[in-house]
Amino acid sequence: MLTEVLTQLVVVVALALLISIPLFVGRERLLETKATWPTRIRVSGPAIVLLAIVLVINRVIRWRAAAISDEIGYHMTETFYRFEGEFVLVFQSIATDELTMYFSAIYIYGYTFMLVFPVIAYFVLSDTRIFRQLLTAYSLNYVIGLSLYLLVIAYGPRNVMPEVLEVTMLYDNSPEYQHLTREVNQNTNVFPSLHTSLAATVAMFAYTTRSSYPNWFPVAVVLAISVAISTMYLGIHWGVDVAAGLVLATTCVVLSDRLVGRWSLTELYESARHRLAERRRNGE
Amino acid sequence: MSEREAASSETAAERATSRRAVLAGAAGLTVATSGCVRQVRTVVNRDDVEQLSLTITTVPADGDRESIQIAREVAAVLEAVGVDVSIEMRSNEEFLRAVLINHDFDLYVGQHPGGTDPDFLYEALHSLYADESGWQNPFGFTNLRIDELLEEQRRTGGDDREAAVDDLLEEVAREQPFVPICVPEEHRMVRTDRFDGWKRGHLATRLGYLGLETRGDTERLRAVHLDARPSQNINPLTAEYRDHDPVIDLLYDSLATERDGELEPWLAESVEWDDGTLQVRLREDCSFHDGERLTAADVDFTYRLLQDTELGSGESPSPPPQYRGLAAAVEEVNVQGDHELELAVETGEAVAERALTVPVLPEHVWSERAIQADVPGVRVAQGATEAITTDNVPPIGSGPFRFGSRTEREHLTLERYEDHFTLRDDVDLPAPTVEELRIQIDPRSTSAIQLVSTDDADVTSSTLETYVLDDIEAEDDVAVLESASWTFYHVGFNARRAPFGNPRFRRAVAGLIDKAWLVEDVFHGYADPTATPVTDEWTPDDLAWNGEDPVTPFLGSDGDLDVGAAREAFEDAGFRYGDGTLRVRR
Repeated sequence: MLTEVLTQLVVVVALALLISIPLFVGRERLLETKATWPTRIRVSGPAIVLLAIVLVINRVIRWRAAAISDEIGYHMTETFYRFEGEFVLVFQSIATDELTMYFSAIYIYGYTFMLVFPVIAYFVLSDTRIFRQLLTAYSLNYVIGLSLYLLVIAYGPRNVMPEVLEVTMLYDNSPEYQHLTREVNQNTNVFPSLHTSLAATVAMFAYTTRSSYPNWFPVAVVLAISVAISTMYLGIHWGVDVAAGLVLATTCVVLSDRLVGRWSLTELYESARHRLAERRRNGE
Repeated sequence: MSEREAASSETAAERATSRRAVLAGAAGLTVATSGCVRQVRTVVNRDDVEQLSLTITTVPADGDRESIQIAREVAAVLEAVGVDVSIEMRSNEEFLRAVLINHDFDLYVGQHPGGTDPDFLYEALHSLYADESGWQNPFGFTNLRIDELLEEQRRTGGDDREAAVDDLLEEVAREQPFVPICVPEEHRMVRTDRFDGWKRGHLATRLGYLGLETRGDTERLRAVHLDARPSQNINPLTAEYRDHDPVIDLLYDSLATERDGELEPWLAESVEWDDGTLQVRLREDCSFHDGERLTAADVDFTYRLLQDTELGSGESPSPPPQYRGLAAAVEEVNVQGDHELELAVETGEAVAERALTVPVLPEHVWSERAIQADVPGVRVAQGATEAITTDNVPPIGSGPFRFGSRTEREHLTLERYEDHFTLRDDVDLPAPTVEELRIQIDPRSTSAIQLVSTDDADVTSSTLETYVLDDIEAEDDVAVLESASWTFYHVGFNARRAPFGNPRFRRAVAGLIDKAWLVEDVFHGYADPTATPVTDEWTPDDLAWNGEDPVTPFLGSDGDLDVGAAREAFEDAGFRYGDGTLRVRR
């Protein structure tokens, strides 16, 4: 079942990329990248390695995290529920089969596409800074998000009021997605919504790069808003989680801008080598 | 400032001060006038009266969709009568740990394992067990009259026992140590094109998976289980991981097995009752999954371990959180040979035979676990032996299936144990007919159903949640089975904490719960409301459900609480109201 769902995801996202790359990126940039990609990879190395490490850590501690949470975490479900009550139910009032289909597709396919496309789109830009910033922002989202998951133990709306979310709940309408989402998440990881924060991060990047990719910007904004709504519509997140996701996204975008380019690893390496060589000369 | 103004500002200030301050002021006055310290204390202590605030512990919908809905309903009615309520959700094992092991709860909503015989109440309610962990009296309930009746129904048999059980159930209904709500129907989905004979045994027990007729050359039985716990821990003694599943039953043999409410010999070849003793003859040439022979010494060891997991080496016995009540029926085991033993019991035959259903554990594996657990960096409670803390992977039993492999939260795979006695020609008992039983974990009823319909699974080994039952479409080669049910949903009180130790308070709470309406609204009608926690055949006539609860009828109708009447019930029970909230002394 997992293999089927996964294959389907890969196929759908690949198709979406096949359409969107020529549409938003264009042939010229791709051709140009053909010659320069080794340099770009080298320059972006630290950001790529950072993201890879973060993803591996994420994978390794995914299930151990429950035990850590037990020790240090705070149970917050009741607090969230008291704070916002049945706010997420507003989406139930507009629910239709078509909307449920749309938001389910957005939550699974739209979101994955949203994360992958900018990686390609920014890699082919001649200035690698945006690319490095994006990867750094992704890493920050994961690191801060995961730390919050350790601290805040909360269940989403579907776990608190299952009966009223019956119409739109993702896992009742498309139970096969269960196999996919439980590979990457636990049911107490709701605060903040990483779906929202990563989608918003991508939209903010789309805004700053709108001169390079004018058509991508409105698409990214529509997708990001849809992703944020889908998490509540499908009964997965509270409004509080989505709001926290937006704050997290902003923080990560600002931080990535400050951090990237601050230290050039190449320079650090060169100066260290220089100093070492000098010392050796002096010593001898 | 005129005198009048001063007076009015004083009243305003007085109004603004809290009740506490006013009382303290009054106390000061008393000191000034009489100087009697004792009187001061009397007055000041009254200030401890404050709004009752309590927490309802339960599991989230991913763990049990019905529990959280009942909990929210109970919270709503309690709030309506002026109680400050919060709900605390815990994952399945954390929930059981809080309730059964740590006794850290006020009220909880959950499913009780119940039993086909009312003797399960002995361990559930006897005050001897108020301090133990597991399903042994998690309520901390103590009542001498109930203790007596629990003992009487154990000692006696036949009509005497029936009369004792009737009295016991009446008394339990009066005391409401917990509020039984309903018995949910058990539905499971199976594929009929690959296997036949699904109705032979209950699917929560070993017999449900043995003796199945395979169609074609099917060598693998694929079960789908909603709960991940069997893939994480396979220790028969850990209460927080054990539930209504067949895993332990398939890996471990017991002396007798239950079929349709009757016990029949299993690992024992024969059992004879002779006033106060059970003479047991074991089947010969049985061995554990690691090849070691199974003898009467292992059975003896099992009962000793189930009474004290430290085997007498600790200062006081450390009973395990499971099988305690059953093992307690056995006074003494006399091993009379490799395959013969005598169990001396102090109970009647019916209860004594139930003691034969505990899993037989291999002495050579478990004897070294009878020591204090050592978890690095964690202070371990007195009596927490390795026997209880180990996850017991791989499990070594003697049952019809042996451990194959597992991946936590994904699957537990069992293999047929080729040396099992059921596979012998001269034994006429249902045997494993497949080489492999793969229990796949899938946390949702909807996707479990999908797996069975798409021929990715043969059976849902967990019961399906009631909300999906109406949507199951009729298909060829797929059937929905209904099995007898003895588990029940209930609200448990922690009698160790005020005011839940007060039976009048518990009765008043019971009157707030509209069981019939919950059955319709939460269980979509797939449950039976109940006033008493035993199976129908043991239910006395005057405790039978007759459209409403015969002892603590709902104070309202169709789920709508008559708040006035309900508050009156609390006042009649001796509780007071102030500022519209229920006040208690803490």
